[in-house]
Amino acid sequence: MIHERSLSVQDAALPRARTAARAARRAPGLRALALLAPTLAFLLLFTYWPILASLVQSVRIETFGSTETTTGLGNFVRLWEDAGFRRALVNNAVYAAGTIGPGIALALALAVGLQEATGFNTALRSVVFFPVMIPLVAAAALFSFVFLPGIGLIDHYLGKLGAAQVNWLGNPDIALFSLIGLTIWKNAGYYMLFFLAGLQAIPQDLYEAARIEGAGGWARFRRVTLPLLGPTFAFVFVIALINAVTQIDHVVVLTKGGPSDSTNLLLFYIYQQAHENYDHGKAAAATVVTLALLLSLSVLSLRTLERGTHYES
Amino acid sequence: MFDWKSIAAAGAVALTLAPGAEAKTEIELYFPVPVEGKLASEMKTLIERFNTEHPEIEVTPVYTGSYDETAIKTRAAIKAGNPPGAVIMSANFILEYQINGEIEALDPFIAADGLTNEAFMDTFWPALHRNAAFGGHVWAVPFHNSTPLLYINAEHFRAAGLDPENPPATWAEFTEAARKLTVTENGQTTRWGFMLPGNYDYLGWMMTALAMSNGGEYYNPYYGGEVYYDQPSMLGAVTFVDDLVHTHKVMPEGVTDGKAVSTAFFAGQASMVALSTGSLSFIRENMTQDYRVAFMPRNLRNAVAIGGASLMMPKGLSDEKKAAAWELMGWLTSPEIAGHWSRFTGYFAPNKGAYDLPEMKDFLAQNPDARVALDQLAYAQPWFATYNTVAVRKALEDEVQAVLSGRKTPAEAVAAAQAGADSLMAPYVAQTALNLPK
Repeated sequence: MIHERSLSVQDAALPRARTAARAARRAPGLRALALLAPTLAFLLLFTYWPILASLVQSVRIETFGSTETTTGLGNFVRLWEDAGFRRALVNNAVYAAGTIGPGIALALALAVGLQEATGFNTALRSVVFFPVMIPLVAAAALFSFVFLPGIGLIDHYLGKLGAAQVNWLGNPDIALFSLIGLTIWKNAGYYMLFFLAGLQAIPQDLYEAARIEGAGGWARFRRVTLPLLGPTFAFVFVIALINAVTQIDHVVVLTKGGPSDSTNLLLFYIYQQAHENYDHGKAAAATVVTLALLLSLSVLSLRTLERGTHYES
Repeated sequence: MFDWKSIAAAGAVALTLAPGAEAKTEIELYFPVPVEGKLASEMKTLIERFNTEHPEIEVTPVYTGSYDETAIKTRAAIKAGNPPGAVIMSANFILEYQINGEIEALDPFIAADGLTNEAFMDTFWPALHRNAAFGGHVWAVPFHNSTPLLYINAEHFRAAGLDPENPPATWAEFTEAARKLTVTENGQTTRWGFMLPGNYDYLGWMMTALAMSNGGEYYNPYYGGEVYYDQPSMLGAVTFVDDLVHTHKVMPEGVTDGKAVSTAFFAGQASMVALSTGSLSFIRENMTQDYRVAFMPRNLRNAVAIGGASLMMPKGLSDEKKAAAWELMGWLTSPEIAGHWSRFTGYFAPNKGAYDLPEMKDFLAQNPDARVALDQLAYAQPWFATYNTVAVRKALEDEVQAVLSGRKTPAEAVAAAQAGADSLMAPYVAQTALNLPK
């Protein structure tokens, strides 16, 4: 899709400037390069160069008290032997599953529920969208009070219903799920926007046709809405997956990975290795593993979801 | 278009001013703000005053976040070859900078001032010496310091038939008081006898205090490759905390963040809390009920570790900048400025001379809680500092958190903590204590 779009832009530009086009034909790479240069420079500086540096660092083995380095896979071996890394990997998997599935389901429900553009719905949409506008770090600071055991917002009202105090962030069995809840609250409005846009793109005559053939509300949703939202699902899934790995402000603000590493996620683990343990080799190895996982999961999910997608022509 | 005359005039002015501006030595001061309060703006005011009083120096204060973030930014600046003139660094990180060869020994500056290292360190409280001067050199100048302190709700004490003027001094008295102070309604605890901050950093510091009060040492203050996590003193301390939670049920299960502890104390949901003396001003301003402060209770001896920060000077500065940084360090730690900062924050002033000034005597007379914090300093010990301090501390904290959550027994926890710490320090140990003649 992206390729098609960029081709059509070039096609449109060609007749407008024939001389430029002729020049471009002579040196086809040059104009493209000039146009790409600013973006490319930033990509090189801030994306490709760090990736390369991480790769190099991940196979460089340093020993304390010596400036000599060797090359090898020792950092990856040490990484795999580290129970803390395996813990972070499992935590991140639970966190991703817990935020992506329920988050997308909630976003879809909200989008379908608030689809009609009535004044009331617009107001509700703004309310649902509001958490998106708060930076995650600020939301986390806010939730440090919401989660306070006994005194916080949640326990205050649960207490009125007669429930016992819950140590939302201090109990290793609950803490990760508290963070999952916060993330869903924060992101559902954002994903809802994509589903709203996806719903707008579904032609109304399809619903009319379904209605004429006697399909009920649920059948219309299952047979028309869901399949046609395929591309939106694929997109939102990848965005949510990337968020589950890259957005860890709340971990930093609320738990620092604790108690007993129960909320430690991959990115925070990398931060700890690099800045608390000064183990740059292990941090780089963890970065490479995380990037590889993220990349293959994204490609895989886009492929499989797009294969089953019905595009309108 | 242009008014050439005024441009020429401006140029002339710039030229005449230029030599003066060049003669000014410009340095940066990295400073963290580790506790609640208006510390950052007060630091800016202080530095403005320093710059006015020292026309030949221009100091730019750079706010660098928490203690840990300050260490990260300082290391990055040193690696980039553009180090700040001075840094207010968590006192127990100084050892790592010295191990890595990243800071200047301050001996030459002290000698130039006509002092011996011993005479210089003697101006500071004895408990602060070891984290600043070790291996035969002075590496840092103490700037503001703290210890753990027991804060008690006097109204709860009176209601429970206890005497707030005579707070519990031993672990036995403390446990008894905590039991009496805990309130349970319909099987649910509505008020806790005691709360202890269990988050990373705070918990390690509190466990130091408890292990030390139990006769222990926590770490080897002479060598950064050893900790004593699996020794009886630490096992006793961890068991004591475990009992408070699971046997006596006077302390909530799981981890309670330091901020949640102070909030519970303000709300009257915790009758006794252990917090830093650095929070003293914050508590004084926000606590609406009658409160007292007391020493951390002891089992075998009164002992707490110090906390706080010292000023250090990174390597890689020009001689002019070094001289300017030394001037700044001396000024910030002088009795007058240290005393002012102490009254503003609640930290105590490391410079003993600060307490001879009349402002400080008045302040202590008016605030007896600050007096108790100062008295406890007589029993203070150095702060744990090892190779890889933060990770080695976390090795213990993760295990104690597991005990607080009822997942491990104290014996399992201290054994696992020791193993974790040993493997973290192994690279350093291999190059030092186990690096033997071949």
